[in-house]
Amino acid sequence: MIRRLAFVLALSLPVFALAANTLSPDQLLERIRSERAAEVSAMAEREKAFLAGRGEQARLLAAARAELNAQKAEAERLKVEFDRQAAQLAEQEKQLAQRVGSFGELFAVVRQSAGDVAGHWQDSLLNVQYPERLARLKALAESRALPSSEDLEGYWMALLEDLAASGRVERVELPVVGGDGRQVTQPVLRVGTFSAFGEGGFLRYDADSGELLAPPRQPAGDSLVKSYLQSGDALAALPIDPSRGSLLAQLQREPGLWDRVQHGGLVGWVILGLGVLGLCLAAWRMIYLSGVSRSIKVQLQDLGTPRDDNPLGRVIGVLGPKPQLADLETLELKLDEAILQETPPLERGQGLLKLFSAVAPLLGLLGTVTGMIVTFQAITQSGGGDSRLMADGISQALVTTVQGLVVAIPLLFLHALLASRSKALVQLLEQQSAGLVALHLSGAPRRD
Amino acid sequence: MTDLHAYWLRLVDSGHALLDLMAAGGMVMWALAGLCVIYWTLVFERLWFMHRIFPRWVEAHRQAWEQFDHLSGTWQRSVRTAWLAQAQHRLGGPLRLGKTLVALYPLLGLLGTVSGMIAVFDVLAMSGTGNPRGMAAGVWQATLPTMAGMVLAITGLFSLARLERSARLALEQLADQLRHD
Repeated sequence: MIRRLAFVLALSLPVFALAANTLSPDQLLERIRSERAAEVSAMAEREKAFLAGRGEQARLLAAARAELNAQKAEAERLKVEFDRQAAQLAEQEKQLAQRVGSFGELFAVVRQSAGDVAGHWQDSLLNVQYPERLARLKALAESRALPSSEDLEGYWMALLEDLAASGRVERVELPVVGGDGRQVTQPVLRVGTFSAFGEGGFLRYDADSGELLAPPRQPAGDSLVKSYLQSGDALAALPIDPSRGSLLAQLQREPGLWDRVQHGGLVGWVILGLGVLGLCLAAWRMIYLSGVSRSIKVQLQDLGTPRDDNPLGRVIGVLGPKPQLADLETLELKLDEAILQETPPLERGQGLLKLFSAVAPLLGLLGTVTGMIVTFQAITQSGGGDSRLMADGISQALVTTVQGLVVAIPLLFLHALLASRSKALVQLLEQQSAGLVALHLSGAPRRD
Repeated sequence: MTDLHAYWLRLVDSGHALLDLMAAGGMVMWALAGLCVIYWTLVFERLWFMHRIFPRWVEAHRQAWEQFDHLSGTWQRSVRTAWLAQAQHRLGGPLRLGKTLVALYPLLGLLGTVSGMIAVFDVLAMSGTGNPRGMAAGVWQATLPTMAGMVLAITGLFSLARLERSARLALEQLADQLRHD
């Protein structure tokens, strides 16, 4: 019992505490009453307002219904109008088809052929002379409207104009973009649609900019043009570009000799260096050997007085002042010893020259193979769908092979010349000196 | 008269055909032609020498040799060696140049091949693979000098072998004639 009381007390304690904190029950009751009174009065107000507005709402509804009916009637009217006009349009289209008749096909043909001709004339020289013809053609090809009779007449006039102009050789004043990028109007000799010649030789028509350019690289044969321009004969031989300018464009992109040498790269320079070294070596040996053979020739005329300025003289000088014919055997031994000393200077440098001429093609091969490797690597990395890149790389790589051969061929030739000259001299020393001395001592007439 | 005229026209035609061939082969063909002229000049000079000049030389030396009969063996031997060496030099010297020329022909042909290939690849690089006609010039340049070099080398090897054989025979004959006891 007591325990239960205590429990209820314990539970109600916080409630009392809260009430004490906020409002007492009396206050609460008062407050609720006052709020309820305020609500009731507001409701009464709203009811009054509604009752007042009900008439207004009915009026608005009626107005909206009238508007809807009016719109429906309008839609009906428009639909009837639309149907009527659709029927009229069909009627008129039928009429148009009747009246156009076979002209429809004609206009289609005109459009198509105007498009084709515009494509053909895209990179024709005559565009410079008749600047607005391309734009007119394109307009004719792309317009959806019916072409007027002026358009049609203008079209076939343009065709005839082109036909006549492409068969003429004439001189006209045309704007030309020079090498410095400035546009100058100058007299131009136009040969059909093939070539045009300005003051500086051939001119190239650039289709993108629609201008005549003076290309920096001229093909051979512009002297013929100059002579024709100066003489003004009725008949003259003229070089023309039968590809209507694409050969000339290709010539501009062709690498020159210097570009080719640079394509050879480091290996190419090594090969050329070897070539220059070899040429210098060969020239030096040539000069030396011709000097020696000259002095030996002089010595041969006079075997009695050996001189020190040539190998033969030095060899014979070993024999002493007065050699006797009788002891030729001992003399021969002495000669052999002297000859052994004289031969190496005659053959100096030939081994090196032979080495150069053998190494140059090998180096060329090395350069080519490394160039190919670089090319194929680049193609592997970039996924070479473009055969042009590969061709360009290969043509650059092959340059070193050409350089190797160009260096090796003259070096081989020079080596052969040098070898035969020095061999003749060595042979003269080794095999003829003893006999010549013997002949000289015996006083017999020399035969050589 | 008309026959002569027709013949002359044919000759002019074939001359132009040859010039076209040379132009198609490029620079290397002219180099080969120059070497060819040098080589065959050398061959004819050798033939002339072998048949006209060398026999006289041999005759003069043989007569001189017969006057030396009274002299000692060593002396004779050294003189004989000297003369044989002179003969060998006169016979074999120019042939060495011929050998080199024959070795240069295939090399020049190879040079033509490679430069022609460069021309082909240049055209490929400019206009892609769709222009076989453009590549034709390069292919001509690559094949003609190779063929010309081979033809010249083969004919050169045959003629050179003949010349060397006749030179060797002439030298052996001379050695037989300059006998000593």
